[in-house]
Amino acid sequence: MASQERITVHNLADLKNTSDDAIPNYLNSLKFKQVHTLVDTRLALGYSAFLIAGACFLWDYKLGFEETKYYTAAAVALYTVLNGILTFWIGFVEKGTVYQGTAPDGSKISVSTSTKKNVPIYNVKVTVTPKKGEPQTIELARSFTEWFDAQGHFIALPFQTMLATTVPLVGKADPKRAAVATPDFMNTDSEVLDALLAAQPTGADSTDADAGAGKKSKRRKA
Amino acid sequence: MLSSLQNPRQAAAQLLNFALILSTAFMMWKGLSVIADSPSPIVVVLSGSMEPAFQRGDLLFLWNRNLLAETSVGEVVVYNVRGKDIPIVHRVVRKFGEGDAARLLTKGDNNAADDTELYARGQDYLARRDIIGSVVGYVPFVGYVTIMLSEHPWLKTVMLGIMGLLVVLQRE
Amino acid sequence: MYNSLTRIQNVFGFFTSVAFVVAAIIAASDLIAPRTPSGMIEPTSVQVVKGRPHYYSTKKEEYAIIKFSLEADLSSLFTWNTKQVFVYVTAEWPSLGADGAVTQNNSAVIWDNIITSPSADHLSNMPPVALRRLIESTAGRVIDPGRGKFQLFNHKPKYQITHPSGHIAESSDVKLRLHYNVQPWVGALTWDQQGVDLGLWKRLSDGVSEAFALPPVKRKDDAKTSSSKAKTKTKSKAT
Repeated sequence: MASQERITVHNLADLKNTSDDAIPNYLNSLKFKQVHTLVDTRLALGYSAFLIAGACFLWDYKLGFEETKYYTAAAVALYTVLNGILTFWIGFVEKGTVYQGTAPDGSKISVSTSTKKNVPIYNVKVTVTPKKGEPQTIELARSFTEWFDAQGHFIALPFQTMLATTVPLVGKADPKRAAVATPDFMNTDSEVLDALLAAQPTGADSTDADAGAGKKSKRRKA
Repeated sequence: MLSSLQNPRQAAAQLLNFALILSTAFMMWKGLSVIADSPSPIVVVLSGSMEPAFQRGDLLFLWNRNLLAETSVGEVVVYNVRGKDIPIVHRVVRKFGEGDAARLLTKGDNNAADDTELYARGQDYLARRDIIGSVVGYVPFVGYVTIMLSEHPWLKTVMLGIMGLLVVLQRE
Repeated sequence: MYNSLTRIQNVFGFFTSVAFVVAAIIAASDLIAPRTPSGMIEPTSVQVVKGRPHYYSTKKEEYAIIKFSLEADLSSLFTWNTKQVFVYVTAEWPSLGADGAVTQNNSAVIWDNIITSPSADHLSNMPPVALRRLIESTAGRVIDPGRGKFQLFNHKPKYQITHPSGHIAESSDVKLRLHYNVQPWVGALTWDQQGVDLGLWKRLSDGVSEAFALPPVKRKDDAKTSSSKAKTKTKSKAT
């Protein structure tokens, strides 16, 4: 499961990154098929820009500035364009997408997350496109405290339950987590949900029983 | 965060962040080079020969295009002596002729004699192509870091190491 | 990594941005400081002597010694961002081909002087006594209204000038021109504007002498005395 080690709870970037990493891990464990197009495009753009800069460095180093300045000018222009596209890609296409994939039943799912500066709230936006039908968007904003303890350990159970209970597609794939919240509880506020989760016995019905249990015990020791 | 390196895509993305910081800094430098048409558009003053105008460690911005007027007497230029790779910042005090055929003589404001002695053997004057730019902008003291780094090379290794470690370990 | 190190980084980053903005504002403030420089320059006595470029040289070259009078007021160039003003006088003359057409233009500095702003006096390269006197003269003021005002009469040139060909005698259409270069504490270096007004910066009014011709080479016995005189170091009276 996502990072075993502790993170600093004051670091919002760490909180978000750890949570972001947990989403693909969870969904892939439910037999979702992840699609990597977005990140692959980003890597391709970024590394081609880097290669251009590398080539420019080499010819400048070997041949000097005067001999190569027109090539250098072209390289700078190309680098600027590629970097511009990369920035556009990250800001307007990826838009914080951390997961894209296909559920076992064939519907497509896309999860993007965001945080606001100095606000410890995890904003998740899930877009589900069924095989036939309109795409459906579910947005939720939850405090990181729901799945991080004071020492900075990530607790998988409440995090996964949050996804399973709010996104029907995930709930269908993971009925055990979804079972916590019957439709009656769907609209109860998070505190009540937390109380229910606390009462829920851990380990036995967890999909990743050992990881969950391991964390629980660590937490008690701390 | 080291555990995240187990995922190759994430490792590649994290490495890319570091690579892009380096390459963007390099390409900005090269972009400035291309705009100013100078192999080294920013130089650090290494000697006191232009005092009190420039002290050691001051940062100079160079411009090497003659768009409106030729490089002329009174301009402060940076030149490389043929066969040596030490840039010298001095003022042009004499100019005979125009364009590529112009013969230029330089002198440091703080020096009693002109630069004839500094030039290569048999060279009495500079040509325009020896000059890598005229000084157009000035920021005091900021370049002192580079003097420190070149005088204490181990600082370089330490700084690069720390920077690299920070970027690899940290995701934003 | 979210600890004291990050905080130091943040503080340092913020400090850098603030320093950058402050420097940019100071540099830009130059544009709102009016400049109204003026100068009158004329040659007073001109002679050409023969000499050697250095002691061991066998080559003899002609050297022009141009004495001049200069009256200038460059005090408006001194603002809070002025570190020094480099004032220089050039002689400009054309070289003529066999047919009398101009083959190239020449210019050479015959005199220069560094005028530090009171804020940069301590950097001046002067004998200690003169330096102390200079620093005391402003008594802590940022701008000294007297700086940049000149009155030189029949002043000796700092540099005797020649031409790579070794010939300079009887050159015609020689002009003396006053120039300045303002060195800021931070920002752009600026020069006299070659006859153009730029916003609040007026061009140097006048600043060019009438054209004159250099005389033939002086006879040998004359040359010796005058060249030895010209070699004695000239000190400017300007402050």
